[in-house]
Amino acid sequence: MTELKVVGKALPRIDGPEKVTGRTVYAADMQLPGMLHAKVLRCPYPHALIKRIDTSKAKAYPGVVAVVTADDLPPADRDPSVRSHAVLVEREAIFEGQAVAAVAAETPYIAEEALDLIEVEYEELPAVLDPEEAIKPDAPPTRRPLDEIDVSEIEGHVTVDISTADDAEAHRRSPNISNRLHFVRGNVEKGFEEADIIVEGRFDSKMAHQAYLEPQACVAHYDATGKLTIWTPTQGQFYQRNEIARILGLPHEKINLVGTEVGGGFGAKVAPLIQPLTALLSMKTGRPVKLVLTRREDLMNSVPAPRGIVEGKIGATKDGRLTTFKARIIFDSGAFPAGTPVGATMMIAACYKFDHLDVEGIEVLTNKCGAGAYRAPGMPEVTFAIEQLVDEVCRQGGFDPIELRKKNVCREGDLMPNGRPWPKIGLYECLEALENSELWRTRHQTKNGGKPRGVGVAIGAWPGGMQPASALVKMNENGTFKVVVGSNDISGVNTSFTMIAAEELGVPMHMVTTVTADTDTAPYGGLAAGSKTLYSGGKSVQAAAQDARRQILAIASRELDANPEDLVIEDGVVFVPGTDKKITFQRIAALTMGFGSRYAPVVGRGGEVIRNQAPGTTAQAVEIELDPETGNVTVTRAAVAQDVGKAINRLSIIGQMEGGVTQCLGMGLTEELIFDERGKMRNPVFLDYRLLTALDVPRIETLIVEVPSPEGPFGARIAGEPSIIAGSAAIANALRDATGLRFYEAPMTPERVLRTLRKAGTAVSHPVVLGEAAL
Amino acid sequence: MLKERVGHATVTIRCVVNGVERTVTTVPNRTALELIREDLALTGAKEGCGTGDCGACTIIVDGRPVNGCLLLAPMLDGKTVLTVEGVARGGKLHPVQQTMVEMGGLQCGFCTPGFVVTAVNFLEHNLNPTEEEVRVAIAGNLCRCTGYSKIVDAILEAAKRMREGEGR
Repeated sequence: MTELKVVGKALPRIDGPEKVTGRTVYAADMQLPGMLHAKVLRCPYPHALIKRIDTSKAKAYPGVVAVVTADDLPPADRDPSVRSHAVLVEREAIFEGQAVAAVAAETPYIAEEALDLIEVEYEELPAVLDPEEAIKPDAPPTRRPLDEIDVSEIEGHVTVDISTADDAEAHRRSPNISNRLHFVRGNVEKGFEEADIIVEGRFDSKMAHQAYLEPQACVAHYDATGKLTIWTPTQGQFYQRNEIARILGLPHEKINLVGTEVGGGFGAKVAPLIQPLTALLSMKTGRPVKLVLTRREDLMNSVPAPRGIVEGKIGATKDGRLTTFKARIIFDSGAFPAGTPVGATMMIAACYKFDHLDVEGIEVLTNKCGAGAYRAPGMPEVTFAIEQLVDEVCRQGGFDPIELRKKNVCREGDLMPNGRPWPKIGLYECLEALENSELWRTRHQTKNGGKPRGVGVAIGAWPGGMQPASALVKMNENGTFKVVVGSNDISGVNTSFTMIAAEELGVPMHMVTTVTADTDTAPYGGLAAGSKTLYSGGKSVQAAAQDARRQILAIASRELDANPEDLVIEDGVVFVPGTDKKITFQRIAALTMGFGSRYAPVVGRGGEVIRNQAPGTTAQAVEIELDPETGNVTVTRAAVAQDVGKAINRLSIIGQMEGGVTQCLGMGLTEELIFDERGKMRNPVFLDYRLLTALDVPRIETLIVEVPSPEGPFGARIAGEPSIIAGSAAIANALRDATGLRFYEAPMTPERVLRTLRKAGTAVSHPVVLGEAAL
Repeated sequence: MLKERVGHATVTIRCVVNGVERTVTTVPNRTALELIREDLALTGAKEGCGTGDCGACTIIVDGRPVNGCLLLAPMLDGKTVLTVEGVARGGKLHPVQQTMVEMGGLQCGFCTPGFVVTAVNFLEHNLNPTEEEVRVAIAGNLCRCTGYSKIVDAILEAAKRMREGEGR
């Protein structure tokens, strides 16, 4: 390949100036003529029957234009087992905060006042809350039996191949089990008999919220022609359009979904959560309607990561070979099946070459808000378990944690738990990079004096998604280019698309811009999820740019009377080397867009289907400092190595890596949705659902590893998700290093850390910290 | 927006926003953020939490950064307000804005206006900050995408450029 001129650089986002000046329009900023404001009445109980609803007083309230309940939903092919399809409670509310009724009014204040006038009579039902109780065959049901489980959303994130062993228990399953997977290889009993070192434990990672800064928001307008336009931040506008069409019984062509700027998604803005309800209100009123969730509503009503409980056991030989792994994973997905456990169950044991493995993954439903996808869904939870077990093998066997992993990790051709061979991956190379990191090389230097310090290592992998995608590259009248895609830009990917197109077209960056068009006008684009946007969509942008380039060369060859193969493009000029034959892109544009032009306008078209995954891998290390008086853990340094195949835009990749690590440090230290014994969420506010601040996060050493994928654009592979996988496990391993103790619950809050220290007799004698019950 | 919640009671608020004198008559129990976003149509400041925890609605009132969601609208009366829309002057980005763009100090952008005004105000008081001082200054602004380092770097670089005479 010739030398790259644009791809591989570290370039600022093309949308940066709009964002720093506050001019970017998010859905909540929109104001349409005649627009109404919506508020939602929510069930105060985790599980209840609605005996009676009376909306008459609310409807009569001045300024109220419509009040809707489930009775107002049009007949359609809705599936109540799917979170998106449960627009309003029909009879049985199955989590606290579920939408019961909604009001559209002239102002948000009137709408809110009208909520108080809706009379609802509930019959509270016992809530099923403990996932380990809920999987027992005689457990009370969280809801009516679920027959068909929709895993379409998770399939958007990861392409899975489920080969399960015989499901002997299937006939006596709890009504709350919505999914079960089982992967078996070799004979684990024999494996443990032959093992020299055996380590086991029960690990518990709590529900965590994506906590994007922009709450869920939507503006919908159903016009007099029966056309529904929806403006909303989404990670998949075509997917949402199709889902909304099904939920409301409308034909696809009657819905135009305009993806607005996404103020953070991380998986939670894939499925439509509030869009069908907003649309319903607009259909009832014939006026534009805006619905923006409060933060409290957003924390209680969206789609957090499930709680993951892992009972795991690992066997190794005395020379440090990991041979055997057995695990039972229980995912508490709340009130709706999430599909999250599918990828995680497959991936928990996927990094290592176990001869024997037996992994069972069970998804169980409880009366809490339904889980969904959160950046590498399920992986931080299961990695918290296996990477602590592997670390314990290192501690007990006296192995260096990086050396042992290098010896055992999978490489191309080794088998994944589903029996398929890994494609080319860079896991080993990530470990090598981590070994050479500043943090690892100087890890002993900061261990002396003061508070206990420790360093922990963890690794992870995410198989990645793939989805058909398409793109257009059209030449503008002045010889510049516009790339048009249908995928939504949640990670700066439009900047990377611009770079790819500029590279292929042979023009500088400023001559290309990329836009995400709405579903009426954009070529199809897949979900901006599962890290696949650049991998799949970037390939189609590359193909479209190549197509445009061919059209340009065809015109130039006729204009210059030269063979296309003799032509060279540089900086927007086509020329024949060694001659004075040349033509500018501007001239070519003029020849295609004027009266009497001889050539059709240049429009490159790219549609690509990548059929192979390009997994992303990571190796991380953190250094922590523990305050034994308070139990507070401070991450003082972190390093992350990640194989991205090819960093199209280094600035964007580093941003993804630093952001992902920070989220996982949050999962490891502070972030948890807390439910009380009645199933009510105790912390739906950012004061109590605590995100890490600039004072809590250290500088993160980012190590970009580039093991090219065979198919992605310029060798790029998936990028967004791997960085979130290993941080919480690395913190636990660092705490083990600092204290000699294992920490089995995440997040490792001061309360939990102190409790563990105290149990081991190493804490200070004066208890000064509130127990969990006092929260 | 006049007849809500408190009957017909209204209040007239006079303030200088981004250098322009504004007069708004509204109900007294709205927040400053609502006044700015809805009545003045300055939607740069965002509502991320509504409880003063995220800093996305940060505005500068009489030289001090405050959460617009925690302030009642009448409290702006007689005050001078700076929002993100007033930071760039004459079509030229403020050094903080410029470095945020250049150095990757923003991703989804929802928290960005809050960070920009917080940082601009901070540098007005301390043009030679340490990294620790920058982190303390922005500790009330949450960002979910970046991991903060790039924002910190951008503010430190902006300080350097301003010391060298760039900007105001």
